[in-house]
Amino acid sequence: MNNDLNLDREAHDRMTASSRRGAHQTRANTIVKATDHATPLELSNITIHYGGGKGGAEAVNVVDDFNMTLHAGEMHCVAGRSGSGKTSILTVGAGLTLPTSGRVFWEGDSLETMGDDEIADRRRALIGYVDQGGALIDGMSALENVLLPAVPDGEVDKRRDMAKDLLDLVGLGRRMRHRPAQLSGGERQRVAIARALILGTRVLIVDEPTASLDRASANRIISILKDTTSDGIAVLVASHDHELVRQSDTLTELI
Amino acid sequence: MNAVQRFIRSRVLLLTASILIVSMCLSVLVQGQSQAALNRTVDQNSRGLYDVLVQAGAEDNGGLMQPEIATGQGGISFEQLDSLRKLSGTSVAAPISLVSRVTQNLESPRLDATDYLGFNAGLAGTAGDPSATDPSKWPAAESVLSDTPRKYRLTASAVSSDGHSDQTLFKTMAEGSLGKAQLIEEQVAGGKNVRIAGPAGETGIKFPAPAGGSEHSLFNLSVSLPFAPQVTESVVAVDPVSERALLGPAGDFLAPLEKAPPADARNAGAIGRHFESLFTTGIGMDELKEGPDFLGVKLKYWAPLMSQYQQAKRSGLLTEDSQAIPMIVRSGTSLDLKYSVKIEEIDASGNVTKDVGTVTRSLDKDYLPFVSKSPFALAWPGSKDLSQLLGDAGSFSQGLYNPATWSTDFASAPKYQDGETAGNGAVDKSATPGDWVTVNRLPEKAANGAPVDQTQRKPVDERSYREDLETGKKLATPLAMVYGTFDAETVKEAAGDVNRLPLGGYDPAPFTLTKDASGKDAGNTELKPSLSATGLASQSAGAITDFYGLAAARGYEDNASVIDAVRVRAKVPGSWKEAQPEVEKLASEIRDMGLQATIVAGSAREDASIFVPGYSKDDAGKESPLGTVQQSWVRQDAAEAVSGSLTGTNLTLLFLTLCGAALLTGASTVSYVRKRRSEAGTLRAMGWTQRRIRSWVLAEFGVGAALLAVAGIILSLVSWNPATAVVSASVLALYAGAAVFAAQQLRHREVVDQEPQHDERLIAVDSPLTFANRQLSSNKFNTISLAVAVAVFGAAVGGMAALLIDIPRAAGASALSGLAATSIALPSIILGLSGVAVGLLLTMVTGRFELQAKRQYLGTLQAMGWNPDMLGQVRFFENAMVGMVALPLGVLGALGIGLLLAPYAALWAAVAGLVAVLCWIPIATKVVR
Repeated sequence: MNNDLNLDREAHDRMTASSRRGAHQTRANTIVKATDHATPLELSNITIHYGGGKGGAEAVNVVDDFNMTLHAGEMHCVAGRSGSGKTSILTVGAGLTLPTSGRVFWEGDSLETMGDDEIADRRRALIGYVDQGGALIDGMSALENVLLPAVPDGEVDKRRDMAKDLLDLVGLGRRMRHRPAQLSGGERQRVAIARALILGTRVLIVDEPTASLDRASANRIISILKDTTSDGIAVLVASHDHELVRQSDTLTELI
Repeated sequence: MNAVQRFIRSRVLLLTASILIVSMCLSVLVQGQSQAALNRTVDQNSRGLYDVLVQAGAEDNGGLMQPEIATGQGGISFEQLDSLRKLSGTSVAAPISLVSRVTQNLESPRLDATDYLGFNAGLAGTAGDPSATDPSKWPAAESVLSDTPRKYRLTASAVSSDGHSDQTLFKTMAEGSLGKAQLIEEQVAGGKNVRIAGPAGETGIKFPAPAGGSEHSLFNLSVSLPFAPQVTESVVAVDPVSERALLGPAGDFLAPLEKAPPADARNAGAIGRHFESLFTTGIGMDELKEGPDFLGVKLKYWAPLMSQYQQAKRSGLLTEDSQAIPMIVRSGTSLDLKYSVKIEEIDASGNVTKDVGTVTRSLDKDYLPFVSKSPFALAWPGSKDLSQLLGDAGSFSQGLYNPATWSTDFASAPKYQDGETAGNGAVDKSATPGDWVTVNRLPEKAANGAPVDQTQRKPVDERSYREDLETGKKLATPLAMVYGTFDAETVKEAAGDVNRLPLGGYDPAPFTLTKDASGKDAGNTELKPSLSATGLASQSAGAITDFYGLAAARGYEDNASVIDAVRVRAKVPGSWKEAQPEVEKLASEIRDMGLQATIVAGSAREDASIFVPGYSKDDAGKESPLGTVQQSWVRQDAAEAVSGSLTGTNLTLLFLTLCGAALLTGASTVSYVRKRRSEAGTLRAMGWTQRRIRSWVLAEFGVGAALLAVAGIILSLVSWNPATAVVSASVLALYAGAAVFAAQQLRHREVVDQEPQHDERLIAVDSPLTFANRQLSSNKFNTISLAVAVAVFGAAVGGMAALLIDIPRAAGASALSGLAATSIALPSIILGLSGVAVGLLLTMVTGRFELQAKRQYLGTLQAMGWNPDMLGQVRFFENAMVGMVALPLGVLGALGIGLLLAPYAALWAAVAGLVAVLCWIPIATKVVR
């Protein structure tokens, strides 16, 4: 992997995001750095509303008319303050939730045309999702957690060595038999990234990877994420960590 | 935030306290309600028409009293009866005895065919009789027979049925020709004579002896049929005054008997002469129809007495000692005896050319013992009854011609032996039969001395149980004097159904066949008395007389011990519970007189299952069993048994509900501890000591405990029942225990496990099944908690099933227990349902421990690309494994509760528990989704 992925200051300066969000509306503008890579993930006119159901609660527009195209080998950061809809965009991009309107394309195919099983199969092949805090399974060691995505295809044994390599890569070669409760927050996050990469993922979606981590641990995570892009993996990350924002190729800032 | 606010904020504690208070209230309320309903039902139904049954001696049947109390054995004297009546606690003392078995010869059956000629010369009683029909109004001549004789074949049969199997008593056939009658004028000395005769060439039809042949009369052609049946009826004696006091309005039918003349005014000759004198002094037709007045009673059925008197006088049976016996006779009969004649027209060679028809007649409700003379008068198809043309015959022709034969042979009750006792207290018995006698046999010779064809009838072996009682001198023939009729069903209604005490021979307990000889279900066929009876099937006595009648029939000396039983009602009013001391005192006084006194108050009807061997005998003499019959006996002390048993059931349910509440408290406490652990850590970090944290926890529990204590005190005061106080105290103790446990659990733990996991010792996670297994084994406490909760749910459902099965028979097999159980069924079912609800709630509360965590890791798996099918498998396998752990616990729990509530339903309870746990698996799988 290439560790030489530094943010082009000029490019970053070009990435200005501005939006004005009223009480019931969110607007986002995205400036995408031009690349030659294919587009494994595209979000088109995404709008996400919450509430307004039977309880009579007023509907909240979390995301309004959001567009984004994620190219292979680039790291796109969705920044913004808490509650601005970062995680919602990530879960919609991962096909875990449906947008109120708009379309999600995986490698050019719209999710609208796919059934639940197909989405699950495609997600397994295309997307690695890292939840906030890692979301490891208690009672299973780090190695077992990394191998979990291989269960549906029956490739647990086949991918065991690869899992160990990945844990080595994220610096947890000596902690692979420890359970989540015995790992620190940064370590859990790294196990989760390793788990997301086990099936040869082409898109890595990571939610707040550096939140509540010390600077050193956060830098370690950022470094790992940058390294993955050099293998052609597209990274979509939600964060308000300035360092992570600085090192991302493209940026959407939600206001 | 104070303790009350924290208590309210902590929904788990609030919910638990609320559920405990509600279940406490519900349990106490339902228990109180059902107990009150039970007491009410028992009080209302456990005191019958009388309180003490007095007999000279009776076998102990283990608290189950057989219904045959009028056996003809006697044993109680009139002096003793007087003594009983003089006891200060006696209100009514009603004696009863079986007087005799009376055999009466019915007239020979006959087949009548209209053969009216339109000629009134020679009609007896019509010439000059102003009431006779005017000859000009007579209908035209008609007949169902042809002018020229035709040949007929008559096939006559008689069948007696016990309701289960038929017994053909005979089947015989005769052929001959019949035609329309003709008037024949004959020249005799002194003028012409006109007579009615058959047409030329008519042979008539004659059955073999002893039956007669065909004969043309004024209006009919009558064919005398074979088999003149003898019907045996029993007669019981009661004291009409005390019997009416016993039965109330239902005994009003005995009122005429109270007006019967005293013993010294019952001379049969004198009474017969009195009625003869009515004709010499003149009596109007209206008076004859209504019945001539005899000492204030209109004797509607005076004709049978008259005709029997004349017959007895003619045959020399009437002596100076002959007495008239006043009696109330039964209307109708349950003896199933059917007579049929098939009529076919045949040609010269005997081939059937026309089926004229089959005529049938049974002994039925129109039959009156000692009155009906010709119950089997059959009519040729198409015939008309033109006998009214003779004018109003009134009651002239009603009644038997021959005096009945009074016998001292008694039908004694069968001997019963105890068999196995069922789980619900029902008793099986077997009946020991007596000797066989052969009935339905023809006499050796006919009246004219000719030998009788014995092939006409099939002799029947009848199980008779007869014993001869040598009671006294040779009796003069008594004459039956019918004072009125009674309806057996009315008496039965008066006796009630639940506490159906035996009244005697005129209110017998019928038998119902439940299983045939091979043990198969016989459809609960009620057995009717038949000519092939075993002595088991019984019908009401043919007549009820008084004890002067018994003296006339038996001819005993003064103060003989001829009373079979005395039914004594105590003076004390009120329910059985209220009357019990006085009744027991009265029974004790009776026992001091040397008599057996059985307290029947507080008893109830119970069906005894009786196996009857040797019911029938084939030609080779081999006996065959009937099968199993049921008969209503009387269970002594049923009221106490019912109260005790159903109260026990209620208390068991209360206990089980408490157990559920205890488990619920435990589960909710664990949930509370989990929620508060992080808060306790924060407080500890803020410098709180362990003691202060404990006080903090106990204060919250203290609010709930205070609420429970207040609820318990209010409930105890309202219900004023020790069970309430026990329940309240138990619940409070449970809650306090939970509080201490919670405070203990929130203490700080220093040790943190840093040992790496040894994957090689674990089952590798490579499928939804192994994943589910790992999750459950990693969270053993939650898994076991949930399994226990599911087991409690299964056990509660099993208990509910046992309760539902058990309720009808909760306290045994008596009718009172069924009635009492029905009256408390709803409260008990509510209690059972609340047990199930607590079990279900327990699974929900326990399940919630991990629901959030489960949803979280299922979301993680989804994010990894596990498809919905695999996620479903994970959910299913997790619940299935919990179910497998819960299954033995639930089944054993259900079995245990079943054994506590209803041992015979325990297996069903276990099955219900099994099904409940199995059903929980898919439901829980759905809920987690």
